[in-house]
Amino acid sequence: MASSYWVGDAEGRVLGPVTLDVLQDLVASGRLQDVNRASADGYRWGPPEQYPEILALLLNAPRPEALLELERQEAGRVWDQLRVMQGKVPHEVFGIEQGASVDTYRNAFFKLVKRFYPDRVRAQAHPDLRRAYSDAFHFLSRLMVHIETELAAGRAVSAMPSIRDTPVPAPAPRFTPMQPARTSSGAHRPALRPLPRGPVPAERPSYQAHEFVGFRRRDDRVEVTVMVTAQNSVMFTQHPLVNLQSGGVFLASRTSLPLGTPVDVVFHFDEPAREIKARGRVILENAGADPRAPVGFGVRLVALPDSEKSFVQAFLQKVANRR
Amino acid sequence: MATILIVDDDAFVRTLLRDMLAGEGYTLLEAEDGRAALDLLGERAPALVLLDLFMPRLSGMEALASIRQRWPGARVLVISSLDSDRLVNEALEAGAAGYITKPFHPVEITSAVARALAS
Repeated sequence: MASSYWVGDAEGRVLGPVTLDVLQDLVASGRLQDVNRASADGYRWGPPEQYPEILALLLNAPRPEALLELERQEAGRVWDQLRVMQGKVPHEVFGIEQGASVDTYRNAFFKLVKRFYPDRVRAQAHPDLRRAYSDAFHFLSRLMVHIETELAAGRAVSAMPSIRDTPVPAPAPRFTPMQPARTSSGAHRPALRPLPRGPVPAERPSYQAHEFVGFRRRDDRVEVTVMVTAQNSVMFTQHPLVNLQSGGVFLASRTSLPLGTPVDVVFHFDEPAREIKARGRVILENAGADPRAPVGFGVRLVALPDSEKSFVQAFLQKVANRR
Repeated sequence: MATILIVDDDAFVRTLLRDMLAGEGYTLLEAEDGRAALDLLGERAPALVLLDLFMPRLSGMEALASIRQRWPGARVLVISSLDSDRLVNEALEAGAAGYITKPFHPVEITSAVARALAS
């Protein structure tokens, strides 16, 4: 039976018992780094130098520059694969039958898109690899939204129009009011997706994107800056599903973000002036397919401290009292 | 409804998992490492444990072994960013009911949880 080992890293985390083969896989792929202690029984620990077999693995780990080169090559392969996918019709992209149900599309989508989650890339990875994963991830996410829209409208799924030429906005400077997406030559930059021209919502929201939203990219997160005023504070209350009570906020916007996009939302309240930062993910979007709901996207906020939440509640109460 | 214990040293991951499962009606518990998980298991009886592998104090593999020995009725789904095939095999051989790699999609989690609880 193969020997088992434990290893620990600089953050105090422990992995084990696992075989040397597992450790070799993880070290070689760069997923296990900063190992600073080891053990053969989980009780007695020592520096890796006390375990020649583990030390050998660590010493033979790919040098950072070699790992970066491998990642750069992998990025090229991902972009090649993306180009192939962009040349196919949707059901071929996912390898399913033409006329498949939306559930079949979704299952195939989840399997395929997982390969390209930007978060799979290690933190110090070559930037091209991160961008390549992000490009593929966003392409597939856009394609899935297109498929769902087509099927919901009772239409056969066709190729997504102008997929190669989807405008990609340049990173927005701070507080740039959000405008219809500008084109850019940044082919490998993760794309913010301009919403298709859908039916005009029957009940238009009382707040509009151009009033308050700006986007800025930070690696694979998107920082969304929101100027919160009495007029647009309904972003916290108006949507029936995504609201402060349910731990979210709905941002009316002509530009959308794919479901699952990690975002950092920075709220700037005007009176009293205060900045609140919250991390979250896009959990809902309406690109216009539902004419009864406002166009935009909903963000589930996480780790919003109670004190910050109380401030928002007090702000909303003040606005309500004025009305 | 079933009780599920979420074990991960990353508070952000715990929050994400909680958000994904909160709407399904489960009772959710949280622990930030393997040792805290075993303490909670002694007090409560979750039907399912969502278990990270690389954690402080007591690793996920050690926690998995203890859970299988002391609470054999509890199912364990490993959720880890360490996606070596050989590690997956070792976790499954150690008694994990499934292995989900991070990052994950909400549907992966909810469907895997439903399957694990139904099996």
